[in-house]
Amino acid sequence: MSENRIDLTSLGQSEEELFSFQLEDDSASEHIAAPKYSYWGSVFRRFFSSKVAIVMMVIALALVLFAFIQPIISGYDHTYTPNINNKSMHYLRPFTKGFIFGTDDKGNSLFDALWSGTKNSLLISIGATLITEFIGIVVGMFWGYSKKVDVVMIEVYNVLSNIPTTLVAMILVYTMGGGIPQLIFAMCVTTWVGTAYFIRVQVMIIRDREYNLASRCLGTPLPKIILNNILPYLISVIITSVSRDIPSFISLEVALTFLGVGLGEKKASLGKMVYQYAPYMTTAGYLFWIPVTTSAILSISLYIVGQYLADASDPRTHMI
Amino acid sequence: MSTNEVKDKEVLVSVEHVDVTFTNGRKKFRAVTDANFDIYRGETFALVGESGSGKTTIARAIIRLNEISAGEIKFQGKRISGKLTKEDRQWVVRNIQMIFQDPAASLNERATIDYCVSEGLYNFKLYENEEDRERKVDWALQQVGLLPEHKSRYPHEFSGGQRQRIGIARALIMEPSFIIADEPISALDVSIRAQVLNLMNKFKKENDLTYMFIAHDLSVVRYFADRIAVIHLGRIVEIAPAVELFQYPLHPYTNSLLQAVPMPDPEIEKAKKIVPYDASHEVLDDTSRLREVRPGHFVFMADSEVEKYRTKLEEMERTVSE
Repeated sequence: MSENRIDLTSLGQSEEELFSFQLEDDSASEHIAAPKYSYWGSVFRRFFSSKVAIVMMVIALALVLFAFIQPIISGYDHTYTPNINNKSMHYLRPFTKGFIFGTDDKGNSLFDALWSGTKNSLLISIGATLITEFIGIVVGMFWGYSKKVDVVMIEVYNVLSNIPTTLVAMILVYTMGGGIPQLIFAMCVTTWVGTAYFIRVQVMIIRDREYNLASRCLGTPLPKIILNNILPYLISVIITSVSRDIPSFISLEVALTFLGVGLGEKKASLGKMVYQYAPYMTTAGYLFWIPVTTSAILSISLYIVGQYLADASDPRTHMI
Repeated sequence: MSTNEVKDKEVLVSVEHVDVTFTNGRKKFRAVTDANFDIYRGETFALVGESGSGKTTIARAIIRLNEISAGEIKFQGKRISGKLTKEDRQWVVRNIQMIFQDPAASLNERATIDYCVSEGLYNFKLYENEEDRERKVDWALQQVGLLPEHKSRYPHEFSGGQRQRIGIARALIMEPSFIIADEPISALDVSIRAQVLNLMNKFKKENDLTYMFIAHDLSVVRYFADRIAVIHLGRIVEIAPAVELFQYPLHPYTNSLLQAVPMPDPEIEKAKKIVPYDASHEVLDDTSRLREVRPGHFVFMADSEVEKYRTKLEEMERTVSE
C-alpha cells in the first residue's frame, strides 16, 4: 500500500497549502439544493410547454373577446330589421356588398348576428357553469365530508338526477318566459347536483387520508380543512369539470332552442341560428354552416384548453 | 427507566374498560375489547401487537379520532371520551398530540412547511403577532434539526426522515404534555430510525413529555419504552415494565412475538424453535381478566389458568436466578 501513496511534496506545494481544516456542520446536509417549487409557476410552465394548448387558447380567447367586443361596435339589434322588405338584400352570399358573411333571410348582416349570438350563448353557458360549479363544489364538499349530510343528500340526488334536465328546463322556461337569466336558472336547477356528486366522490377519496386526521388532531375546524386540505387537491378535477360544462351548456342551449323554448325572439343565439337555418342547408348553406362551425370551434377550443389546464394543474405532472 | 420510579408517579392517561366498535350498516366489528391500562406521567408506554390488533384504534380513541362504544378515557383525571364542550375539546388538542406513521401521507402536500408547522398555532392563536409566530416556527424547526429556510418549501421536497421531523415539529410547537407516536419509524429507512428516536428521547427529557409509543417491532420498543402492553386481536394480553417483559414473557402470545425478533447470530437463529401462537390453548370465559402476577406485571387469564401461569413463572424465575 505504501508504494501507492503519492508524495505530496512532489506536487510542488506544502501540505498546509493543500489541506485546511473545515468545521463540521450538520445543517449543511439538511440543505435542499433544488430550486424553489411554486405550484402556479409549475402549472403555467407545464401548460405553455404544449403548442396545441397555446394555439387552442389563442383561438378560444380570440373568439370570446371578439364575441364580447364586436356587438358593441356593430350595435346589432336582433329585432331591428330595416331591410325586411328589400328582397335584394336577402340571402346575399358571403363577401358581397361588404357583408363578410352575407345576409340572412331578413336582410341583416350574418356577421353581426353571429357575434351577437355567440355572445349570448357564451353568457348563458359561462353563467350556468359558474353557478353550477359554485353550488356543486360547496355542497359537494360538505356532502363528501359529513356522513350525516350524505344520508340526506343521496336521496336528493336520487330524485333530482332522475329528472331529465331538458324537461325541467323546458317547463321552467315556459313558465318564466325566455331570457338569459331565466335560461341560466332553468339549466342550473338540476345540473348542480351532478357536479356536487362528482365532488363528493373526490372528497371521499381524500377525506380520510392521514394529513386530514393530523389537521383534526391540531384542532383545525371543518371549513378550514375543506379550504386548505381538500380544495387544493381538487383544482384539476374542478377544471376538468368546468371544461366539460361550458361546451355542454352551449349544446343544451342549442337543444332547448331547437325544442322551441330557448331565448325567445328578441335575442340572437348560436342555438337559435342553427335551429332556424337548418332548412337552408342546401339552398343557402352558409347560413347554417357558419354558426355550426363557430359553435364547434368554440366548444372544442374551450374543452381542449380546459383539459390541458387540468393536466397542468395536477402536480404529479410537474416532476417529469 | 426503573420500575419503582414509575410506580410512585401520577396517572396521566387512564383507559378504563374501553371498547371500540366499528359499524358498517348492520355489521359490527369490535376492534378493541375491554382495554384497561394507565399511563404515568413521564414514562414511555409502548403498545405492541401485530397488524390489525387494534393498536392504532386505541391511540385514535384517546386522541378522539375514533368514538368509543364502552368505557371511559381520562386525561389528568378528567373525562375526554364521548361528548365534550368546545373548551374541553380544545384542551385535549392543546395537551395531546400525535405523530403519524407515514410521514409522506401525514403532511398536506399543497401547503408549505410554514403552514404545516404553524397550523396548530393558527387554530388557537398561540402567537402575539406574525413575528412571534415566525420565531416559534423557526424554533420548532431548529429543534428537530431543520433550517428556517425550509419554511417556504413543500413536503414533497424533503426526505422521509426530514418529513417525519416536520411532523414532530408540528406536534412539538403545541407544547403538549402527552404525545402519541403511531409507529413513527416503521416507514423510515433503517439508517435514520435512530435519529428520529434520539430526537424523541431528547424532547422527552427537555419538555417533560409522556409518550405512548405504538410499534410492531419489539427490538425498538426494548430500547425506547419503560412499560409495554401487548395487544392481540383487540385485547390486551400482557402489561409489564420493559425489562420484566423481556425477562418473564408469560403470555404465550408475548412469547411468540419475542421469538419473531431476529437475532444477529446465525448459531442462535439456527437453534431457534419457532412456536406459532395458538389461541385455542387459552381459556376465554367470564373470569378472564388482567391479573397481577408480579409487581406491575399483568397477564390476561381466566380463573382456571392462574395455577398454570404460577408454575410457569416459578420455572422462569428459577432459570433466571441460575
